[in-house]
Amino acid sequence: MKKSLSIARVGFRQMFTDPMYMVFTLGMPLVMTWAMSFLPKVEGVYEMASLGVLVMFVALNLITSASAVIEEKQNGTWQRILCSPTSYSAVMGGYFIKLFVVAWVQALILLLSGKFLFGAPWNSGYAELAVVLTVYIFSMTGLGLFLASILKTQSQVQAVATGVVMVGTMLGDVFFPMENPSGIIKLIATISPQAWAAHALRDIMTTGAGLVPLIVPMLWMIGTGAVLLTAGVWRIKLDR
Amino acid sequence: MAMLEINNLDKSFGKRKAVDDLSFSVREGEVFGLLGPNGAGKSTTLSLISGLQRPNKGRVTVGGINVGEDSLRAKALIGVVPQEPAIYPQLSARANLRFWGELNGLSKKELASAVERALTIVGLTDRADERCSKLSGGMKRRLNIAAGLIHSPKLLIMDEPTVGVDPQSRHHILETVKELKAQGTTIIYTSHYVEEVEQLCDRVAIMDHGKLLSIGTLPELLGQAGEYQELIITLRTTPESILPVIQALPWVQNAVVTNDVLAILTANAELALPQVFQTIVENELELAEIKINKPSLESLFLKLTGRTLRD
Ligand SMILES: Nc1ncnc2c1ncn2[C@@H]1O[C@H](COP(=O)(O)OP(=O)(O)O)[C@@H](O)[C@H]1O
Ligand SMILES: [Mg+2]
Repeated sequence: MKKSLSIARVGFRQMFTDPMYMVFTLGMPLVMTWAMSFLPKVEGVYEMASLGVLVMFVALNLITSASAVIEEKQNGTWQRILCSPTSYSAVMGGYFIKLFVVAWVQALILLLSGKFLFGAPWNSGYAELAVVLTVYIFSMTGLGLFLASILKTQSQVQAVATGVVMVGTMLGDVFFPMENPSGIIKLIATISPQAWAAHALRDIMTTGAGLVPLIVPMLWMIGTGAVLLTAGVWRIKLDR
Repeated sequence: MAMLEINNLDKSFGKRKAVDDLSFSVREGEVFGLLGPNGAGKSTTLSLISGLQRPNKGRVTVGGINVGEDSLRAKALIGVVPQEPAIYPQLSARANLRFWGELNGLSKKELASAVERALTIVGLTDRADERCSKLSGGMKRRLNIAAGLIHSPKLLIMDEPTVGVDPQSRHHILETVKELKAQGTTIIYTSHYVEEVEQLCDRVAIMDHGKLLSIGTLPELLGQAGEYQELIITLRTTPESILPVIQALPWVQNAVVTNDVLAILTANAELALPQVFQTIVENELELAEIKINKPSLESLFLKLTGRTLRD
């Protein structure tokens, strides 16, 4: 556990010293959250869009951060970690802690600034929101580690991540409310984790929806997240 | 006592055998040289020792602990200096060393003094708080060494630590090895530079194509090289066609050409030289430099493999 924390801490320090990372994970989504605050605050339009921004950037952040494994393999620190007397579960535990913490910190900053700087109208449903976000972050962590395990370079990860996340949000009925969407749009809105999370969060924050109707999709997210995570963790070790 | 024991080690990548039935042992407190050209399998051997890779066959024992069975306990005894610096460029030297110390199980109390000690040994104390990306190549290599010895390992594995460094850093690295030896660290020193191995190592293993060709103390190996000397002749241009002519000369045991350098193994340089000269003149080649090497590991390697250690 102590070593997992060391690995997570070194990960944080690398991120904070990378200005591009900070702009990408906090600067850009903050500007977009601010821009969304000019949307009409009716029928959940604002909630949908600002929570969509959050959902989108949390996923991009998680996938990009997970791909740090690839960078570590390239500069040899990964091999050095494996040469140290640290169990593999402690190593991956460190990565998991790092990813979970950065995603939650990012989400909290966006939520709090939405509420206190940009006048978001919500004031309840926080417990449900925390549950849904945790499930979402878990599944995206799984996706990130899985992508890091099958792709060879960080720019490949970047490209795949942008594709998956952009399509999931842009075409997933998140930013542009669609009337009578076509079949393909409906399909994307149904299977995309981004679309699912954004819709679930909107319902929680606007209509006070509870978790009960979300149990099945959440189990699905946890299940696929766990499968991807397991496959990723296994493959990252295998590929030396 | 043997600090390291390797038995019948095999490692293949696809069809290529990187390590082929390798066995040797390293005694406690010695500097053990692993000498071989690029691609000989040195780095692979080292990652089998450190537990980074698993052998297809065979056994590695470090300090009496089987690396395959009890890898975490074995890894705690080993320090690794990889061929390419494995450090976090965004962090300072000090932050890097703290992290590698923590991963190697140093307590908070031990950590501060271990970091200062390692910085002193490699001479980086006054650059310790700069970002590593700002350090020179030689300094990065020195930090790479510091990271390997942060936990005072019983066995330090160094993979070509002086490749591509400036003379000052190179000198510093060689001095570091001597100092660590004086403190009782067992060291495996991998290189394809004969001079370094001859200067530092108590015993040497020569390998090529994953196989052990010869092993022994320096005098033992030089004895195997026998009375052979090496003529190193640098020409402005060296056509491949003169090689068979040279090889056929009396007194020439063997000859190879690498990058316009003609290396000739001979039992008698005085008798071979005139004939070699004549061949050069007859082929209208231009001579740039000529050197006669006494029996060395280089000439032994040439004798064993018909190739030079140089790339
Ligand atoms: N991960 C790998 N995958 C495939 N081939 C490898 C790998 N590592 C080493 N090899 C091959 O094994 C042989 C030995 O390589 P290496 O141990 O790096 O030699 P050295 O360190 O002596 O230069 C080389 O032919 C190299 O191409
Ligand atoms: Mg090598």
